[in-house]
Amino acid sequence: MNDELNQKTSQFLDDELPHDQALALLQKMRTNAALAEKLQRYAAISHALKTEQFIALRPDFSAQISARLEAEPAYLLPRPKPAAKRSYQWLALAASVAVLSVVAVRSLPLLGQHSPNANPATLQIAQHAAVPTLPHSPVTTVARSNTEQPLNARINDYLQAHNGSAYADNQQLQSMARLTAYNQK
Amino acid sequence: MIVVKWFFLILSVLSTVTAWAENLPSLISGSHSAGQLQNGKQALKNMVTAMQTLNYQGTVAFLRDGKLEPMRYSHAVNNGQEQEHLLSLNSPLREVVRETGKVSCLYKATHQLVVDQRPFERSFLVNMPTDLAQLDAAYDIEMQGEESVALLPANVVAIKPKDGLRYGRKIWLSQQWALPLKVEVYGLSGEIVEERLFTELQVKDNLPFIAMPPATNTPPAATNATAPQQAAFTFSSLPKGFTEVFFSRQPIHVAEQPVDHVLLSDGLASVSIYMEPRNNTPPPVNNSTEGVQTIDAINFFSHAQGNYQITVMGEVPPETIRLIADNVRLR
Repeated sequence: MNDELNQKTSQFLDDELPHDQALALLQKMRTNAALAEKLQRYAAISHALKTEQFIALRPDFSAQISARLEAEPAYLLPRPKPAAKRSYQWLALAASVAVLSVVAVRSLPLLGQHSPNANPATLQIAQHAAVPTLPHSPVTTVARSNTEQPLNARINDYLQAHNGSAYADNQQLQSMARLTAYNQK
Repeated sequence: MIVVKWFFLILSVLSTVTAWAENLPSLISGSHSAGQLQNGKQALKNMVTAMQTLNYQGTVAFLRDGKLEPMRYSHAVNNGQEQEHLLSLNSPLREVVRETGKVSCLYKATHQLVVDQRPFERSFLVNMPTDLAQLDAAYDIEMQGEESVALLPANVVAIKPKDGLRYGRKIWLSQQWALPLKVEVYGLSGEIVEERLFTELQVKDNLPFIAMPPATNTPPAATNATAPQQAAFTFSSLPKGFTEVFFSRQPIHVAEQPVDHVLLSDGLASVSIYMEPRNNTPPPVNNSTEGVQTIDAINFFSHAQGNYQITVMGEVPPETIRLIADNVRLR
């Protein structure tokens, strides 16, 4: 079994593994950390063989980094605020005006929504902020976890009736027997 | 001190002028943006044509709510008739065929065949309206550079919502065939809600039509599409761009009473509204029905109105679901 997996991993790295088997292998790696680590090792070996350049890292390299980060002291005490003096109020006001001017002008293309390089994430946030709050409709989104409760059959039925592509990307539909379903002998 | 004040005042003025100067080219090139919008729309038109007229097949990864479903996909055309075919690579093994508004899904393990009439849908990959002008009210469409998908060069088309009541999308179109290689749907915070992408794609001269196994008995009529005006409810108002595209009155749950189902669409996003008598049936959700809930990236809200249970469901933000639910009026 191990030999077979090793061979598949090797074929995968050489791009010789059939697509469906490659997908199966990748899915297996999601749950098998040892297999994923093996792929990393093979990739490193392959890279070294092909390029003759390889920086060998100690196996505990990342663990050491994590340990050092954890050893960093945590600064929990609040920093004392410097006393604001009246003489600096004008300076703060002038600086604020300058910053506001720059920010306001830079945000103009986003408002127009035609910036070709606009990051979708940024754009979406800007649009979201512009949506007025709905009266009498407080929205509380409850993320549903499969472990919290069984998927309600009625909602399942609605889901299937709503979305035709659910056949493609919803594996839970099999349990649903609609009126349109029948058994083939 | 006066010198310092003047210094910062001048600094602020200079900053303003500099910022205007930096943005001047983009402000002047308003016509360029309009051109990009036009190109984006043209690219989508080309995509729709390519999707309808080419024979192509490949492996498509459907990703939704963190779940991956790889499927073999093919699209065949013969004398103007189209057929889409999906074959799951993982359990539960199933085969899905879309043909002339009908979707048939055969589950291999149980030999269960599910047949649905879906005249309002055209593709498993991406559903576009017949008339792209339908998107104008709610979306801006523009080109966003070039990238590669599955080792194929692609043009990126961004479909940006004009408000926060629907999700944005990006479509990667093959430069060679104008087919959609990848589709991403973004939530309001820019997170990917849903993704579909080809891991490999081949365009062929001909592809065979897949014949679903013959039925041993005739399945009951799945859906009787009639005019939405016949629904037992209406809407006092709808979010911009949304129109009623489909209505059916049929039993959705086995051996139960008919359910009114109205489908709204803004051209890309769709929202279903279901109404059925409450009788003694329990509410459709076990926990709180106060707020909008989420299943597989689809938001839904269910509440009682008089003697009826109204459920609103769709791939739109929770605000939109609640807005539509609040505007349902019994006739």
